[in-house]
Amino acid sequence: MAPILEVDGAVKRFGGVAAVNGVSLALEPGRIYGLIGPNGSGKTTLFNCITGVDHVDEGRIRFKGVPIDRLKPHRIFHLGVGRTFQVIRVFPELTALENLLVVTTTGYAEARARARELLARVKLDRLADEFAGNLSYGQQKLVEFVRVLMTDPELILLDEPAAGVNRTLLNELLDAVRRLRDQGKTVLLVEHDMKVVMGLCETVFVLDHGEKLAEGAPGVIQADERVIEAYFGR
Amino acid sequence: MKRWVPVGLLLLAVALSLYPLEATGYGVRVMLQLFMWIALAQSWNLISGLTGYVSFGHVVFFGTGAYASSLLIVKAGLPWPLACLGGGVAGALLALVIGWPCLRLRGPYFAIAMLGLNEVMRVIVSYYEGLTGGGNGLSLPTLDASLAIYYAMGLVAAGVTAVTYAILTSRFGLRLMTIREDEVAAEAMGIDTLRYKLYALMLSAIGPGIVGGLSARDQGYIEPISVFPLIMTITMIVMALFGGKGTIWGPVLGATVLFFFQEAVWARFVYLHQLLFGAIIVAVVLLMPRGILGVLQQKYNLPRTI
Amino acid sequence: MVGQVVISGLLAGSIYAMVALGLGLIFGVMRVLNVAHGPLLMLGAYTTFWLFQRFGLNPYLSILVSMPLLFLLGLALQGVLVRRVVDAPELASLLLTFGVSIALVNLAQLAFTSDLRSVEYLTGSFLVGPFAISKPRLAACAFAIAITAASFVFLRSTRLGKAIRAVSQSREVAQVCGIDVQRIHLLAFGLGSALAAAGGSLVAVMVAIQPEMGQVYTFKSFLVIVLGGAGNYPGALLGGLLLGLVEQLSSLFLTAQVNEAVASVLLVRVMLVRPTGLLKGRV
Repeated sequence: MAPILEVDGAVKRFGGVAAVNGVSLALEPGRIYGLIGPNGSGKTTLFNCITGVDHVDEGRIRFKGVPIDRLKPHRIFHLGVGRTFQVIRVFPELTALENLLVVTTTGYAEARARARELLARVKLDRLADEFAGNLSYGQQKLVEFVRVLMTDPELILLDEPAAGVNRTLLNELLDAVRRLRDQGKTVLLVEHDMKVVMGLCETVFVLDHGEKLAEGAPGVIQADERVIEAYFGR
Repeated sequence: MKRWVPVGLLLLAVALSLYPLEATGYGVRVMLQLFMWIALAQSWNLISGLTGYVSFGHVVFFGTGAYASSLLIVKAGLPWPLACLGGGVAGALLALVIGWPCLRLRGPYFAIAMLGLNEVMRVIVSYYEGLTGGGNGLSLPTLDASLAIYYAMGLVAAGVTAVTYAILTSRFGLRLMTIREDEVAAEAMGIDTLRYKLYALMLSAIGPGIVGGLSARDQGYIEPISVFPLIMTITMIVMALFGGKGTIWGPVLGATVLFFFQEAVWARFVYLHQLLFGAIIVAVVLLMPRGILGVLQQKYNLPRTI
Repeated sequence: MVGQVVISGLLAGSIYAMVALGLGLIFGVMRVLNVAHGPLLMLGAYTTFWLFQRFGLNPYLSILVSMPLLFLLGLALQGVLVRRVVDAPELASLLLTFGVSIALVNLAQLAFTSDLRSVEYLTGSFLVGPFAISKPRLAACAFAIAITAASFVFLRSTRLGKAIRAVSQSREVAQVCGIDVQRIHLLAFGLGSALAAAGGSLVAVMVAIQPEMGQVYTFKSFLVIVLGGAGNYPGALLGGLLLGLVEQLSSLFLTAQVNEAVASVLLVRVMLVRPTGLLKGRV
C-alpha cells in the first residue's frame, strides 16, 4: 500500500543549528505512529515542516504522493492534514462552537450540525456557546482535538496530546484516537508520556539531535540501547 | 429588549433625517463631520479591530478617495455622487495593491509600512502637478451641496456600521477574528489568512474613499497636506479605541463623544488643543485600551454584537 | 559631481545614523516605536538655541547640556508613561508616543512660539580640491561620529552596555542572568533621548528651528532602523549613512519635492523585500 506521508531527507536549519538533520520516514495509512525523543530532538520542528508552518531547507515531503513542502499551511490542511499544537491554540474569544465553525467551507447549517455532533462526541455540547478562553485546560484540549476533525482529515498530527491532562480525559482521548484509526485515518503523535506511546502506537520513531535514531514496534524501541542512551545516557 | 433596538434605530434615523429642517447651516456642517468621523473610525475598526492588523496610515485611503473623486469631477465631468463612489473604488484598489505585499508583514512592520505608504501617496500626488495641481491644490467647481452631502455622509456612516454588523455575525467575520486571536492556528486550520486580511483591508478602504470624496466636494478645495495628515489616522484610531474596537457601536460611540469634546475644547482652548488631545490619547491608551464598550462587554458578558 | 554628492551624503548620513541609533536603542530594547523621537530632537535644538541666545554659549558645547537634560526627560517619560506599554501590542506604544509627541510640540509652540529661530554660528565652506565641504556640516559630522563612536564603545565594553545588548536580544534570558531589566529600559530611553538631543543641537546651527522640525527626523530614523535591522546597532550606522547617500544622490536626478519621498519609497521597498532589515535584524 502506498504510504500516506513520506518525509525524504528533511533538513531544517535555524541559524547554524540543524534542528532536523536528514530525517526520512514513511507512514502507512490506517495506523497510529509515535514520534519520541529527548527535548530538542526536533520533533515539533518536524511537525511544523510537515504542516507548512515552517519550510524544510532540504529534502521533500509528500502527502499521498503530492509534494507539500512548499505549500502554505492552509493548503496543506485542505489536502487532508490536520494538527493540534503543543501549547493549546484555541481561539479564546470565539465560542467552542465557533472555534469549529470557522474551519469548514461547507454551508453554514451543515457546519453547525457537524460541529455540534463533534462536541457531543467529547461531551462538550452543553459548553458549545461558552467562550473557549473560559474553558478549563482539559476542555480546551478537547475542543482543539475535535476542531481538527471538522473536515475529516486523513492524516492527523497530535503534538503532545497527553500533556497536562488527567487520567479520565486521557483515556477518552486515546479511545478517540483508536476509533479514528479504525475508520482508516492515520495518526502521528509526539509524546513524552511513554505509557501512552507504548500502549497506543503501532510503530514508533525516535529522534535525537535532529536525526532518526530508531524505528520500530514499541517493545523493540524500549529495549533499544541507543534509545535508552539518548534519553538517559551521555 | 431586542425589539427596542431596531425601533430605536429607526427613530434615530428619522430624527437625523429631519434635523436639517430645524438646524442652521453650521449645525448641518457639524453633523456632517460627525458622520464622516463615524465612517472613518468604523472603517478602521473593520481591519484593525477585527483582524488585529493595525493600519497606521489609514488616512491614505481618505486622501486617495478625495483626489480620485475630485479628479473625476474636474477632469471627467462626473456628477459628484458617482465620483465619490469612484473614490471608494479607488480606495479599495489601493488597498488591494498595497495589501498584497504589506499584509505579509508582522506587527510593527505593517504599521510602519502603512505610515510610509501614506507619505508616498502624499508625495506622488504632489509630484504629478499637471494632473493634481500639486502643492497648489485642486479646486472644484463651486457648488453648495451641504445638505445633500449631509445625507450622503450619513448614509455612508450607517452603511459602514451595517456592514460591520453583517460581518461580525457571519462566518467571514469569525475567520477575520481568528487572525487576531491566533494567526498561526488560523492558517493551520485551513484559513487563507492573507486573502481574508486583504478582503478586510479592501472593505475598510471603501468608506474612507467615499467620505474623502464627499469631504473634498464639501470643501471645494483639496491639497496634499490636508488630505493625508497623520493626525487624521490617529484621531480615527483613538475614536475607535475609546468606544471599543472590535465592537459594532464602539467606534460610533467613540467618534460621537470625542468629536463633540473636540468641538467644545477647540472653541475654548485654541492653543492648548493639541496638548489636550495628546493627553486624551495617552489616557485612552493607558487607562482604557479596550474602550468603553470593550470593558462593558467583558464585565457584563455582553454579546459580540454590541 | 558624484564625489561631492558622496561627501555631502556621508556628512548628512552621520547625523541620521546617530539620531537613528537613539531610536534603535529604544526599539531594540523595548520594541517600542518612539514617535516622539523627533520632538526630543527639537527640544535639543531649542536648548542649544536658548543657551546661545542668552549666554552666547558655543553651540557645540551646549551638547554637554542638551544631552543630559534630554536624558533626564527620557528617564521621566519612560518611568511614568512608556513602561506601561512596553509589553502591550505595538498600537499602544505607537499611540502613546504619538500623544506625547503632539503634547511636546504643542508645549514648545506655547513656550517658544512657532517663529523660526536660527543659530548663526558657523557658516561657509572649506574648499578641498574640487569639493566644497560645508563647515557646519563637517563640524556636525565630526561630533556625530565622536558621539556615535562613544556610544558603541559604551555598548561593547561597559557592563551596562552589554546588559543593554543582552536585553535587546532576549529579555527573559537577561532577567535570568540577573539583569535589572526595568533599569535597562530606563537607561535605553534616556540614552535614546540624549542621542536625539545631540542631533538637535548639531542641526540647530544648520536649519531653521521650529516646534515641528523633528517630525521628518522621526520618520527618517524609522527608515534607518528598518534599513539596518531592528536591534542591530551597527546596522543603524550603516543605514544612516546609506540614507544620507541615497538622498543626496537622488537630489541629482529628482526635484526637491520628490526627494522627500525617496525616504518613504525606500522604506516601503525595503519593508516588502526584507522586513527584517538589509542586514540581519531581529524581528
